[in-house]
Amino acid sequence: MIARVRTLYGASPLHLLAVIASFAIAGYAFFRLAGTPTALQTFIWFAGAAVAHDLIAFPLYSGLNLIARRSLAGPLDNREEDRRVPVVNHLRIPVFLSALSLLLFFPEILGLNSSNYADDTGLGGDVFLTRWIGLCAALFLGSAVVYAVRLRRVARDEDEEEEDGGSDDRPGAATEAGSGTDDA
Amino acid sequence: MRLPRPNLPRPKLPKPGFPADHPPGPTRPSFWRSPLRGPWLTSILGSALAPLILVCAFTGFLSQAAYNPALGNNSLLPGGGLGVDLYFFSWPTSPSFLYALTQGVHVTSGLLAIPILLAKLWSVMPKLFEWPPIRSIAHALERASLALLVGGSIFVFFTGLLNIQVFYPWPFRFLPAHYYGAFVFMAAFLLHIGLKIPVARRTFREQGVLRPLRADLEHTEPEPYVEGHVAPLEPDRPTISRRAMLATVGAASLGAGFIAASQSIGGPLRSLGLLAPRSTQLNDGPNGFQINKTLAKVNLTRDDIGPNWRLVLQGGEERILSREELLAMPQHTYDLPIACVEGWSTTQSWTGVRLRDLATLAGAPGASQVLVESLQKGGALREVTLSSGQIADERSLLALRVNGVDLSPDHGYPARVIVPAAPGVHQTKWVGAMKFEAA
Ligand code: HEM
Repeated sequence: MIARVRTLYGASPLHLLAVIASFAIAGYAFFRLAGTPTALQTFIWFAGAAVAHDLIAFPLYSGLNLIARRSLAGPLDNREEDRRVPVVNHLRIPVFLSALSLLLFFPEILGLNSSNYADDTGLGGDVFLTRWIGLCAALFLGSAVVYAVRLRRVARDEDEEEEDGGSDDRPGAATEAGSGTDDA
Repeated sequence: MRLPRPNLPRPKLPKPGFPADHPPGPTRPSFWRSPLRGPWLTSILGSALAPLILVCAFTGFLSQAAYNPALGNNSLLPGGGLGVDLYFFSWPTSPSFLYALTQGVHVTSGLLAIPILLAKLWSVMPKLFEWPPIRSIAHALERASLALLVGGSIFVFFTGLLNIQVFYPWPFRFLPAHYYGAFVFMAAFLLHIGLKIPVARRTFREQGVLRPLRADLEHTEPEPYVEGHVAPLEPDRPTISRRAMLATVGAASLGAGFIAASQSIGGPLRSLGLLAPRSTQLNDGPNGFQINKTLAKVNLTRDDIGPNWRLVLQGGEERILSREELLAMPQHTYDLPIACVEGWSTTQSWTGVRLRDLATLAGAPGASQVLVESLQKGGALREVTLSSGQIADERSLLALRVNGVDLSPDHGYPARVIVPAAPGVHQTKWVGAMKFEAA
């Protein structure tokens, strides 16, 4: 019997029960919402959320990532130490954090909420754009400083290796932040 | 790429019917190149996400209970919302920071979760383009449920996120959409965890829970390709280690969580929350703290709250009181928070008349409930019903003053309700009438 369900259904009967229970709860919420005057719009936004993520946001950000990787790998990393400290993450990480903070707080950063915000809170909402720009600047600056320190470290390690006669017992020790020499 | 490619394990697997019956593009396993994707990465992100989502859901449903939705018109859900919704207890008044805590945790856990959710979704994208799209009835149902999971998670998190910034670009009411959206999301989420915990456990058993974190970039290897899972068939050379990627996601999560926590905890943290909607205040004066709705927003003028204002009390008998008469009654002062549904709170020192004294005055001592009406003309929270427990608490006030001075018009002058542990939207401002029901 269970084997029959398995071949017909494609998974165990327990799977079927769990799926039914899940759809029952979702269906309950669906019917509660279906009674509201704006039900259709709500469902459109719900479906739109998945579409916006899967078919718009995801292709967009992975495309940008691909372009960044392709265009940075060649032209910029042309000195030996550049290759040992790839620049790509020093751009990608601050770009990611800046973009994410914009995604989370775009209504107040871009002032889209301004009429509500002023009336509700009695405050001017115009501080957020400046603060966001400051945050981005700090992220890029911080990343640049870390990059510079890592480049210096690699260059110095290589000088020391030459003095030591080139013995290198820790290959690639400086390819990642935090794993370089102890004295820096 | 100039560096020699490390020796990656090249899976020599039979590729069933591949690529002939896969349309070109993302349905082909060879389309997906990231060497970091794989069940371990998905499982570790999922393990970080699951507790945050459960805490967020739990505190969200608690917030609904905090409205005491069984009383009067308190429920903001369609049709009064009764049904199997969770209203089986009366919201307590102690500890006084209860709602500040639950709602602060709700918004903070939500913000902590969003960056991890986005990373989690990135890690499973190949599965969304799986080919063939449907293999069995079970598989079809599971994919339908995944559509609810992805749509539900983005919908619920982003409606909440825009709500705390008072931005409402949609035509529907926020609360029912967010609440019932959460039901759909949680239904799909619980099924998903049930189905995936075995996958995560197997992965952790094989690869270790934390072992992959030890690898720096040089030693970052792709996870082994297994058909039907998310590790890549033809991985590129890694450009970032797993631990650096996870550290970035973790930093984003902590940053977003800090912004939310700063405006809930307040004090010196508040101004550090830079992007938090309530990171600033009006001024340093006694009435300078945060406002939810200004007088102008609810279309009231200073005439409405001028010397002709009277408080109408109803119970056994009707009493009409001026502000002077209220000030002549015994006054009490308590430090209590106002805690907004938007996740910010602020504790101030309120002075006024006890609600239970007003109940007695209205001829309804020990009242079973009270309908509090604001002067404001419209809005879902124009009237609120408080419970007998809320009336009976000695700290529940009709506040006339704050921090030693009269309330400002925007903070509810001539009089506002302050009830410990109640949501901010129940601390009715510009109170015009209170209708007590005798016990
Ligand atoms: C809002 C939360 C979540 C969303 C939107 C989400 C979404 C998805 C999607 C769309 C898939 C691909 C479909 C599939 O493999 O069948 C997936 C796979 C998976 N998820 Fe989640 N998930 C969430 C939370 C979690 C949590 C909390 C866990 C922790 C146990 C988890 C563990 C997994 C695992 C292990 C896989 C399979 C990866 C593989 O087979 O290679 N997910 N998730």
